[in-house]
Amino acid sequence: MLKYIVRRLILAIPVLLGVSVISFFVMQLAPGDFLDTYRINPNISREKIQELETLYGLDKNPVTQYFLWLGNILKGDWGYSFVYKIDVWQVMLRRLEATLLLGVTTFIFTWGIGIPLGITAALHQYKFTDQALSTVGLIGISIPNFFFALLWLMWSANTGIFPIGGMLSREFANFPWYKQIGDFFWHVAGPVITLGTASLAGTMRVMRGQILDEMNQDYAEFAKAKGMPSDVVIYKHTLRNAINPVITSLGFSLSSILGGALITEYVFSWPGLGSLMRDAIFQQDIYLVMANLLLQGILLITGNLIADILLAASDPRVRLRMSA
Amino acid sequence: MRKLLVLVVVVLSALTIFAEEAYNPEWLIADVEGGQRGGTLYLATTSGPKTLNTYWAQETSSSIIINQGDVSLLSNDFYGQPTQPSLAKDWGVERTEDGGTLYWFVMREGVRWSDGHPLTIDDVVFTWEKIIVPDLTADGNDVYMDAEGNLPELTVEGNKIMFKYPTVFRFGFQTVGGFAIMPKHVLEDKVTDAETFQSTWTVEQIDQLVVGGPFKVTEYTEGVRVVLERNPYYFEKTKDGVQLPYLDRIVFEIVTDSNVARLRFEAGETDMHGPAAKDFPALRAQADKKGWNVIVGPATAGSNFVAFNFNAADPVHREWFRNDNFRKAIAYAFDKQTIIDTLYNGLAVPCYGPRTNSSAFYNPKIEELGFRHSLVTAQRLLREAGFSLNEKGELVDWDGNVVEFELNTNGENVVRNEIAVILVDSLAKLGIKVNYRPLQFNAVVQKLYSANLDAIIIGLVGGDDPGWGTNVWLLDGGLHFWNWSPEVMDWVDPDEYWVHPAEQRIDEILRVSRSILDKDELQKLWDEWQMLIAENQILVYTISQNYLNMHKNTLHLYPVEKYGTINPYGYSYSPGMWKIEYAWKE
Repeated sequence: MLKYIVRRLILAIPVLLGVSVISFFVMQLAPGDFLDTYRINPNISREKIQELETLYGLDKNPVTQYFLWLGNILKGDWGYSFVYKIDVWQVMLRRLEATLLLGVTTFIFTWGIGIPLGITAALHQYKFTDQALSTVGLIGISIPNFFFALLWLMWSANTGIFPIGGMLSREFANFPWYKQIGDFFWHVAGPVITLGTASLAGTMRVMRGQILDEMNQDYAEFAKAKGMPSDVVIYKHTLRNAINPVITSLGFSLSSILGGALITEYVFSWPGLGSLMRDAIFQQDIYLVMANLLLQGILLITGNLIADILLAASDPRVRLRMSA
Repeated sequence: MRKLLVLVVVVLSALTIFAEEAYNPEWLIADVEGGQRGGTLYLATTSGPKTLNTYWAQETSSSIIINQGDVSLLSNDFYGQPTQPSLAKDWGVERTEDGGTLYWFVMREGVRWSDGHPLTIDDVVFTWEKIIVPDLTADGNDVYMDAEGNLPELTVEGNKIMFKYPTVFRFGFQTVGGFAIMPKHVLEDKVTDAETFQSTWTVEQIDQLVVGGPFKVTEYTEGVRVVLERNPYYFEKTKDGVQLPYLDRIVFEIVTDSNVARLRFEAGETDMHGPAAKDFPALRAQADKKGWNVIVGPATAGSNFVAFNFNAADPVHREWFRNDNFRKAIAYAFDKQTIIDTLYNGLAVPCYGPRTNSSAFYNPKIEELGFRHSLVTAQRLLREAGFSLNEKGELVDWDGNVVEFELNTNGENVVRNEIAVILVDSLAKLGIKVNYRPLQFNAVVQKLYSANLDAIIIGLVGGDDPGWGTNVWLLDGGLHFWNWSPEVMDWVDPDEYWVHPAEQRIDEILRVSRSILDKDELQKLWDEWQMLIAENQILVYTISQNYLNMHKNTLHLYPVEKYGTINPYGYSYSPGMWKIEYAWKE
């Protein structure tokens, strides 16, 4: 097992290099650079712009810039943000907490509800419950996130039940700890429901389909025919097989937790990495964008690895092997 | 017990009196009275500050916050002109015997920084000698130079600070009177080079921030809110003796989406809102019920214009764009009133030249030039220039080329996008085919620097005084993008380079204006400058929105109380914030 993990990690290096090369040069292909806002400022002279280009290293050719950046990464220096004038990690760490809180809560919401609902739907195939769940799921999946978010905020503004965006109440700092937790859930509800409803239906449909497939398999029929109680058949045997694709999708979830909520974050003024990256891309704050992309790459690889290990744990038929 | 309480009260009051006496600078007495001290002002802003270093802030999201703590020798009046006292209690300008100009300022004494450390002439000298002269700022020190590129010589005599230019230089009050003064005792070891200085007072270093202005950033929760608190040592008092600012705190809530900012204001969570013109009628309808004060201010300073590239890559296009009648025809074809009525609900004014009617330098004569919407006039002008319509209804030039060009703007700017669409439609009526391509901001900037540009809709910001526009208006200016000089852009062929006579004169005016101190003489030049641009439509100006502002009735804004409107030029990115130290809440 350990050997497998080590080999997977070694194989991840060329993948990450590839990711960084492509991201870096796509950034370079985009027109302009960080200094464009300076260029259109009537008070800044051309000589000053040239000085700033040297200061920020933008006067070197892209290949040199890439290798300088790579060299620094290997030394553990991820570069610094042109806009914030501080280390990119410091910028990202300021946002990471909000993103993780939202991501994890959404993840628990979608999986915690999606899996049981999928099972319920499968067990009541073609009955009212199944159809009602499908309908709700489809509505959730088909309303665009930004629209759902705006509807939610308008509703909140009119009723006052939930806050109008934001992450912390004004008095947050003075609240006792239990109230702070409550405040968090009060604020996170909107974004979680917006994001959750969109992916809930997906999880639910996959789970339902899988359970139905497995229930029609010979082994399940055999077990039932043998007189095994149907609960045991479902929860002990078919569920274990059915859950595999859901576990596989966990690998992707981990990286999408960090970057998948841009629009929702924007509308809800949720101070996560998504909105930070949006600004960084517009301002061409390259090192910040690169750090984020690389981080996403690392998380995607880690996520897949974790998913594979979980898969092996849940399904003995899966062997962790690698073709030589 | 009671005795003890009395004793405590007596001791505390004695301490307070003592403390107040301990800080007794030469107060600046503001022309306000009767306000209430205390309270928190809640505002929404689209994004948090990126840096707290005023000399490296390039985004309004940063400057709107940092500027509340900035202090300089002079402050600006309602028109954005540096005519008001601040740290300087007395000032003046003199012509020296050797033909130079001497700007002098007498500093207020006994003033302190927000940490209690004395704010003296040493800090002014420090900022000048260690930050501005060595060029450690993002903007550079060009603006402080006279026409010959000299920085002034600084001398100090007791409490009088003097800046002496070897030539006649007009901008002294704006430049040397207007730079933000930084605390020497805090930043002394941070001014070694530009790289170190720009990483000073980042958003990570709020605890090191020391200000001389009315408000200081004390707390920033990334992406959530910025809290500013009163500077306990701010040196301004009202006429009835209240130390300013009135407000205890300003809280900027970070609300990224403008629709949500509106919802927040409607729900009463923020005190002030600058609505978009399209939202204005719906919000005004609620104003009485919700207790809001509604202000339709003067026209905004920055206006959008259409620029044609006199050096376009295609020689045929170049010839059209350099043709006066062609540009004038565009101006006539462009229906400003329709844009104002349909896109702005009537909350905008047509622009005929580079300054709007709210400017201190506006020349109303340009309105008499008669550039009102008229397709007939446009057609006549085109015909006179040698253009004609072919059998397909397309406009063709004297050589039979069909008139067709590309128009760009940065598409994320909704207003420019809409102006573009209307322009395309108007020009179609003249038989001109315009291929409209909205671009992302960075791509637009790159286009400005290239020959591939045909026409563009864009706006520039900057000070109200036209003299600040040298980068834009001088023939070899670094932002003279519609007609780059071959000296600035090497892709411009010197043999093909052509200068409009009006541009030549504009160049002269801008150079001469730097050394004219007489106001009337200067205004004559600015009148001529506006006329030259408008008559020849060097740039085709469009429209300018009115400043719109709504705030709770319980909030008293100084410009509104004093001038009946909000300030158009003193504070261009949020006119309601001008002189916020005088604002108070019931």
